[in-house]
Amino acid sequence: MTRPGSYFSGSNDHGLSRRGFLGATAAGAATFAADTRLDGFKSEALAAELRKQNKNVILLWLAGGASQFETFDPKPGRPTGGPYRAIPTNATGVHISELLPRIAARMQHTAIIRSLYTKVTDHGGGATLMETGRRPAPGFSYPDIGAVVARELGRIDSQVPDYVSMYTSTEGRRKGTSGFLGARYSPMFLAENMVPENIRRLETISDIDHRDRAALRDVLAKRFNQTHQSSTVASQTTAYHRVRGIMASEKLFDIEQEPEAMRQKYGPLQFGQQCLIARRLIEAGVPFVKVARAWWDSHGQNFETHRELCADLDQAMSALLDDLAERGLLENTLVITLGEFGRTPNINASLGRDHFANAWSCSLSGCGIRGGVAYGRTDEDGHNVADGPVKAGDLFATILSALGIDPESEYYLGSRPLPLADFGSKAVKEVLA
Amino acid sequence: MALSDPTKLKKVRDFGVSGIAFCVARTPASGQLYFGHSDFKLYEVDALAEKPEPKAFTAAGHESYVTGVALSGKQIVSGAYDGRLIWWNAESKEVVRTVEKAHELWIRRFATSPDGALVASVADDMLAKVWDVESGKLVFTLKDHQTLTPNNYPSMLYAVAFSPDGKWLATGDKTGHIAIWEVATGKKVGELEAPVMYTWDPRQRRHSIGGIRSLAFSHDSQLLAAGGIGTIGNIDHLGGPSRVEVFDWQKGERKHEIEDSKLQGLVEQIEFDPSGKWLLAAGGDHGGFVTFYDVATGKMIHQDKAPMHVHQFAINEDHTEIFAVGHGRIAHFDFKSDRPAPPAAPPLPESA
Repeated sequence: MTRPGSYFSGSNDHGLSRRGFLGATAAGAATFAADTRLDGFKSEALAAELRKQNKNVILLWLAGGASQFETFDPKPGRPTGGPYRAIPTNATGVHISELLPRIAARMQHTAIIRSLYTKVTDHGGGATLMETGRRPAPGFSYPDIGAVVARELGRIDSQVPDYVSMYTSTEGRRKGTSGFLGARYSPMFLAENMVPENIRRLETISDIDHRDRAALRDVLAKRFNQTHQSSTVASQTTAYHRVRGIMASEKLFDIEQEPEAMRQKYGPLQFGQQCLIARRLIEAGVPFVKVARAWWDSHGQNFETHRELCADLDQAMSALLDDLAERGLLENTLVITLGEFGRTPNINASLGRDHFANAWSCSLSGCGIRGGVAYGRTDEDGHNVADGPVKAGDLFATILSALGIDPESEYYLGSRPLPLADFGSKAVKEVLA
Repeated sequence: MALSDPTKLKKVRDFGVSGIAFCVARTPASGQLYFGHSDFKLYEVDALAEKPEPKAFTAAGHESYVTGVALSGKQIVSGAYDGRLIWWNAESKEVVRTVEKAHELWIRRFATSPDGALVASVADDMLAKVWDVESGKLVFTLKDHQTLTPNNYPSMLYAVAFSPDGKWLATGDKTGHIAIWEVATGKKVGELEAPVMYTWDPRQRRHSIGGIRSLAFSHDSQLLAAGGIGTIGNIDHLGGPSRVEVFDWQKGERKHEIEDSKLQGLVEQIEFDPSGKWLLAAGGDHGGFVTFYDVATGKMIHQDKAPMHVHQFAINEDHTEIFAVGHGRIAHFDFKSDRPAPPAAPPLPESA
């Protein structure tokens, strides 16, 4: 039986495994870690093995809702299709919008899902649904995909953040949430600058003083732990152990460390620069990085908006895929493009498209993904899914499966088991390697 | 000949067309219209018929939105987002000539020279090209507009207009840059800036909207008007003031900055009155507008809603009627004066 409010995922032998783990550890930090282990010994070994594989996720969040017609599900010549052509990709039979020529030339890395069927068409509700893979339920604060991945793939001894989220535009800005997983898995959130704020040592404190203070705090915490069992203190200890690593991570956000030629590949725009930072972060061991590119909400002038933003996406994402592949990182890094919904087939009088969640698209590239695939089908005008509907939970399960995480494994909130992907979700096997 | 009176503006009729009509040309002294459509086709319709019935050109033609159409004698020239120019026989509707890759990117607009001999096209390759209508040959390629905006995004070249005397050509882009060209030589002779037409949102949404969408010279060729939209707070929508700037272009002076926040949106086309008293601006957002401004003062004379976002209109010879095409509709407006037109001046004696 777990303590109310505690959480862990587990199989039937979870309780035994947890006791075993507790018995094998004494340090406060490890005690906290035991509270948050996934499975028992058997699965813990798998979890450890999974962590050793250094798998990562880069989520390119297309905030505001990109149009599937102008990205991954073009309908040229149809009344809903808009003016842009479909172009062939280097995957036989797969065509995407002419606004994404560089991505088209790299389709061997990418699977498109064209049959998202998620129904929620308000920005907040749609974002929550797609970030957590399920609709909100009273009394629960679900973690988003970043927090789940951070928890499942983050290493306890990591010196870098587990979850970094960049969202510099203000419209629709969302920090991300670790929900019931707790603050340990909250994102390091960059909103105003490309470099994290407030992680530098104060100039009034010398490095020696800073280290001494940490050592003193450690001694006091250990002494406290000898007579008290407190997950709160354990959590704080874990956090403090990461302080110097996080302070040292500042240079990861400095793209001036990259050669000029590399910076040019990502382009001069902020989104590209943030994608380059994302690569630097995952290369350093950060398991989840979200780069939000806002704002695709093209109620007016949809085609002009996508002409701009698709050019941005095309350069940044293609540079990212190339860079990851050349470094041998792509096979362990899942790159996702996703937003809160797509856009209407109907073109309004302002030449815009409105919110639409009945038949829209996303892409998955790299780790665990069968590239060159377009899964699902919409009808000829893109009004409905004609084949292979994929719900938010199914996409969540697909992402986890691509990373080697069992989407059916469970967290326990009190005595209530909660599968990592929503009840009844199924991964789209056709896009998995 | 009838006189115009902007205060008499009224919609005579309108009728529906499926999809979007982007451009229009009119057979002189008639209601016979040719319009380019979002279904990639050209259409013909008699807008004065009791029951107008648009008929599509059936020959294979364009492969994207048709955004430019010009009528010169018995030839029709069309341009589209496919970058292609097509010459059609106006009677048989057969394709006479096709110029593949006339532009590398999307053709946004056409203008026809007053004598009908030349057509100018502008496209997102940021080039203006002048074509000989009779031969189909490229006369000039005019290069001045930057391919990227100041914020490093792709720019767009939206607007083009010939002066009524045929000597000058103006082109206008997304960032508000205007170039004026001498038609005889293809040389740039002037430039103007209308940066308010371009809204860049650096913080909330991090992209842009706007641009110069229409240009027109006054009939003495001294003034150049540019149309578009003013600064927009929320660039998700066309929720900004319709905007016209009027320049004495040879002096490089801005004479008027006119904005209207009552009927908002893009000014898609402008036309000057031959007498120089008024200019007519039409466009829209989710709705549409037709607005007259006093050229001398820049004040609004009269305005009415259009039944749709107006993308372009054709004006009659007297400048008393327009046939507007746009989102899902075609509308015929009339603004004839109640006053009788003065008798035509007698011919001058041959000895004079």
